[in-house]
Amino acid sequence: MDHLSKHFSRRRFLQTTAGVTGAMAMGGFASASRVMAQSPMAGPTGTFNFMTWSDHFYQEQLDAITAAIDITPSISELAGNAEGFIRLGEVGGQLDMISGDALWVPRYFEDGLIDAWDINELEVSKGLYSLAREFDIWTTPAGYLGYPFGWSPVQIYYDPAHVSPAPDSWEVLLDPKYAGRVMVENQPEEVPAYMGKLAGVADPYNMTTEELAQAKELMIRLKPNVLRLAQQNTDVVNALTNGEVWLATGNLGYDERVREAGGPEIKVFTPKEGTIGWMDAEMIVTGGANSALVRPWLEMAQTPEHIAENFLRYGRPLFNEAAYKVLVNNGHQERADRFLYNKPETVQTMTLKGPGTSTQAAIEAFNEVFGA
Amino acid sequence: MTSEVGRGTTPADAPEIGQRRSVARLWPAIPAALVLGVLFLGSMAFMVVFSFWRTDADFHLVPDWNVDNYVKFFTVPTYLRTFGKTLVMAAAVTVAALATALPFTYFLVRYVSRRWQRIVLLAVIVPFWTSYLLRVYAWQAILGERGVINQLLMGLGIIDAPTRLFTYNDLSVFIVLVYVSFPFAALALYATLERFDFGQLRAAQDLGARPDQALRHILLPQIRPGIITACIFVFVPIIGEFLTPVVVGGTQGVLIGNLVINFFRGAQIAQGAAFAIVIAAFVTLLLIVFRRHLQVEDVVARG
Repeated sequence: MDHLSKHFSRRRFLQTTAGVTGAMAMGGFASASRVMAQSPMAGPTGTFNFMTWSDHFYQEQLDAITAAIDITPSISELAGNAEGFIRLGEVGGQLDMISGDALWVPRYFEDGLIDAWDINELEVSKGLYSLAREFDIWTTPAGYLGYPFGWSPVQIYYDPAHVSPAPDSWEVLLDPKYAGRVMVENQPEEVPAYMGKLAGVADPYNMTTEELAQAKELMIRLKPNVLRLAQQNTDVVNALTNGEVWLATGNLGYDERVREAGGPEIKVFTPKEGTIGWMDAEMIVTGGANSALVRPWLEMAQTPEHIAENFLRYGRPLFNEAAYKVLVNNGHQERADRFLYNKPETVQTMTLKGPGTSTQAAIEAFNEVFGA
Repeated sequence: MTSEVGRGTTPADAPEIGQRRSVARLWPAIPAALVLGVLFLGSMAFMVVFSFWRTDADFHLVPDWNVDNYVKFFTVPTYLRTFGKTLVMAAAVTVAALATALPFTYFLVRYVSRRWQRIVLLAVIVPFWTSYLLRVYAWQAILGERGVINQLLMGLGIIDAPTRLFTYNDLSVFIVLVYVSFPFAALALYATLERFDFGQLRAAQDLGARPDQALRHILLPQIRPGIITACIFVFVPIIGEFLTPVVVGGTQGVLIGNLVINFFRGAQIAQGAAFAIVIAAFVTLLLIVFRRHLQVEDVVARG
């Protein structure tokens, strides 16, 4: 009998465990689907899902907005444009807002993933540079495709104590005397693109087979110089700060961030062959379950004060002209001007990032070069 | 003793009731079966299908059945070379992890009191309380150009300037992977050694065996399940390792996982899926070989 009761107990235990597991799973689904609560007195409140880059926000900003209007973004990290595009295609309305670069934005729209809307609905949009409200690539008859955020060309940073004479070309990244002293970001679509620029390719996101072969040859020469492929821009800033590398590619503002981190004086230039660049926007996802929260949140998040603070933290220019005035009034004009904050028209000189016909081949070329 | 079947039933009912009991016993396994079936086998099935499709210029998966993605893996030298290098790295780390974990656990089980064993094992497990990413990043501060080792060597006057011998290469990947794999090997070996009767070693030596003979012929065969478990726990995850090469490997320390992730990040799902399936198939094959030739069923039979 004792044996039987033990057996029974064990079975009961397993059954109970299975029941509890099932209940927990159901509970998990239930809580996951409980996405927002409606405030009885004001506008909508709750949480919405936002996939973006880590420099599109800062924690104090999120906290302040939550305290003011009780809307909080649940943020997931965006690794790259292609990954974001695919991810949104898979999850659709589970996301409510997503960031994207330049020519990727119309691609999202063409695939029915985002809504076109009137950004002038937002009071804060009046603070944008007029240019940013009228980009042809983001304008459709149905409305604008995203709320313009920031921009930057990809430039080359160098430590003048180790790199001389002062370079002016992508070619410096290939110079054997800088073996192991270069850092580039791990972007399989972008590295072939700027090597394409060096090869004189006019449209580096739509390279022909011959052009891609030229870019690949240049990447083969680049590889021995690259110490490591940075996963995020802080890796580049750290490596320049501690002197691990002397040359690096990156957005505007790294020199200031290196200086603030106690690193050496870093110089920067835009290669004479031209460069690639990005300008990004916050896009509202079609059918987002909590999309009602997005506009009120943007109204708070894009205020000149928050955007000015974002610039001071992350260094690259933003499209918010009102924030530029805040920076000027607070004694940061020199810095803002140095980082081209007052020259948004510069975006028209860059080859904008975007999906291209040679993307797959470019990734393969990158892998073949940077594999073992 | 009374059986449940015997209570109020006829012998003819017994097989049916036995069957019902067998089914009833199975249902607690349903949650695990669902998790494995849906989250593992289901997703693997999708990956297999995708691996035979292609990605078009608009980054969409197109059900255009072909084997090009697999052909690419086996015909582009970089991919084969990187995969081969990954296998060598995994094998080297497995050997090193076993070589460090075995003497450690042997000493622990044989010469340390039970109370202290628990404390030492806790110390082995403590690193798991911090994130994997943090642990790997910490090694940058140890192996890096301005890291602890370089500072120490310069302080001792052994080198004049910082050396990159310890970082951004295969050696640094190897060192960090041995570090992160050690607890897995140690715990697997401890579980087996704990049940070993060390009196057998003394008996063997009493009968004339040298200490090394006693270890080879008495100890090792009996702890083989633990060794094989440790091998599997260490070797298999390294084949898909991505983070350690990124953080401390530099461009010289790239493993196959780094190339696979580039395909997924670039929305080349079909190509990435094919590479991932090749790796998964290889691991499966390896486990079958382990089972056939190294009698892995012992792991199950003896726990």
